[in-house]
Amino acid sequence: MARRLDLALKHVPLRAPAPLFDRGPAPHGVFNSQSGFLRALGLAAVLFLAMLPFIDASRYTISIATSALIYVMLAMGLNVVVGFAGLLDLGYIAFFAVGAYVSGIFTTVLGWPMWAAVPATIVACILAGIIIGAPTLRLRSDYLAIVTLGFGEIIRITANNLTVTGGPSGIHGIPTWDFFGWSFDDGLTVFGVEFPERVVFYYFVAIIVVLVGVIGAGRLGKGKLGRAWKAVRDDEDAAEAMGINTYISKISAYIIGAVWAGLAGQLMATHLSAISPNSFQFLYSALILMAVVLGGMGSTPGVIIGALFVSLAPELLRDFAEWRFLIFGVLLVVVMLFRPAGLWPATAVLPWLKRGRPTPPPFTEATAAVPPSVFESVDGVPGDEAQEGDQR
Amino acid sequence: MSALLEVTDLRLQFGGVKAVDGLSFEVHEGEILAVIGPNGAGKTSAFNCISAFYLPTSGSVVFDGKRIVRKAPSIWHRLRLVNLLQSFGFYRVLPSRVTKWGMARTFQNLRLFRELSVLDNVKTAMHANLRENFWSTLLHTPGYHRAEEACAREARGWLDFVGFEGDENLYVTHLPYGEQRRVEIARALATSPKLLLLDEPAAGLNFNEKQALMSLIRKIRTLGVAVVLIEHDMGLVMNLAERIVVLNYGKEIADGTPEQVKNDPVVIEAYLGVEEDDEPTPGAEPVRDGGNEARS
Repeated sequence: MARRLDLALKHVPLRAPAPLFDRGPAPHGVFNSQSGFLRALGLAAVLFLAMLPFIDASRYTISIATSALIYVMLAMGLNVVVGFAGLLDLGYIAFFAVGAYVSGIFTTVLGWPMWAAVPATIVACILAGIIIGAPTLRLRSDYLAIVTLGFGEIIRITANNLTVTGGPSGIHGIPTWDFFGWSFDDGLTVFGVEFPERVVFYYFVAIIVVLVGVIGAGRLGKGKLGRAWKAVRDDEDAAEAMGINTYISKISAYIIGAVWAGLAGQLMATHLSAISPNSFQFLYSALILMAVVLGGMGSTPGVIIGALFVSLAPELLRDFAEWRFLIFGVLLVVVMLFRPAGLWPATAVLPWLKRGRPTPPPFTEATAAVPPSVFESVDGVPGDEAQEGDQR
Repeated sequence: MSALLEVTDLRLQFGGVKAVDGLSFEVHEGEILAVIGPNGAGKTSAFNCISAFYLPTSGSVVFDGKRIVRKAPSIWHRLRLVNLLQSFGFYRVLPSRVTKWGMARTFQNLRLFRELSVLDNVKTAMHANLRENFWSTLLHTPGYHRAEEACAREARGWLDFVGFEGDENLYVTHLPYGEQRRVEIARALATSPKLLLLDEPAAGLNFNEKQALMSLIRKIRTLGVAVVLIEHDMGLVMNLAERIVVLNYGKEIADGTPEQVKNDPVVIEAYLGVEEDDEPTPGAEPVRDGGNEARS
């Protein structure tokens, strides 16, 4: 087994001694492990989302659900930047705009099909992430926030003034997805059940993209890259001292955040079939940041809950007419007062998995290795052990 | 005997303050060297220069045959662009690169990753040694699972090596101070160093913990890792170190075995103070590089 594992490590001069005892495999069950429980919860959520059109297929419900999914995608991307890598980004909506505009321009001006615009969006967002990130990521915390705020506004104002982006009125008539001559607009009848609305098809596309986004971001957060991001977030110098190139780590977080936002932007462009600079105001950057902070920075389930809260609360409070944003604000204050680390913090442990304080380590050789010679030699004569070590 | 680390005439200036002023010493493979000196003598500044966190004003640091201090062409100095270029990683070696070459360090005040578990803290240090990339992480390929398994095994090996016996899944902030020190040393070892720089490893430890630390440092040396430590605890230093470099006001005032340093009048005057029962040998000269002679 050791040989098989050796393949996974690069050649290094110094290897750890074998562990003193085998810890055994970590539990994987639904109720005896955190990851198992989250997996089950995620599966239930996906099933619910897939069933939703069969329960209530009204245009309103599906539209709200799709925009909530887009918020989840955006929040997952921002969670990589803010939650994992600890880079406060106040202009995140800029990447959303880049994704929406690039897909809009490629499909309307150049006439590409929507699926072909996906790689173009991804490439554009990677470039945007590098262009904005490379010069600014040398800055720390507050300064970075101000610079990203500026970049967010630059993108919006540029879109407002260019002719190719349609100026203040934006881009209209963005086509929906079509495959081999069949478009979502055409509707479909399967086993006698009619799916008339393109909105419903589009909703399923959104589910798939968001599912990939959520699982992908979660996996990246747990791997080597995610550990590097979290290390940079907790202590940049210590991370550098551990052999992590902090600059590369930060820019990779930034690029991944940009790509996630770009894909969300493309989802929105097709969902609404029209985009304008007004959809990319600072308010939306703040809302998504709020979703991340409210849910719990760096926590996948928390951020999803936060995004759902931010996108659905104003809709659910529609009955209160103009009072709804006041109530929304009060709700936010109350949540932050009672859950300052977020609704589902990254450090949260499921209540039934909590253990008490661990018992102090037993008194062993390692904790109390005080050979008598050490006491004798405290006054300056190097102990016998030192000389033995020298001979070795 | 080849030198693992060669520091020659290292100088670091902050405005008019000379933090390090012409420091030269060598570290050989597998030895334990202590750097001592009164507060503000420039010990930590020298460490930061050696591990490439600070860019020294002049001097050279060669680790394992590789130059850590780089010189920028004078044109950039004249254009006043040196700092900008160096902040982007040109004409300098990044600390992460030095770590990959095999020099690990710990910090004076504990700098663990506070929101990571003990195990993840140690795993983080294996970043550069792990065969794992973006796609394998995203797709959870067999290679990814193998790398994660190997990483966890190594990390647990190091935790056991340093004698950590708590719960590896706890967040480090929940650990007692002594255990956090252990985790920090395990984390530094997980980078698979040839040279380990320990910045005041015994600060804040009680007597028993200091004894355990001493045996741990000797255990590390048996792995073939050279250890350089900054320490104020004279008992520990005299007991552990084979050679001692003494700094005062950024200058090196002595370099020799514990015996030689203890009896060096300059050191006694600058640092230890005059002791009644430990008279300086009459006529003892400050011994420079005496350790090397003694060893050969």
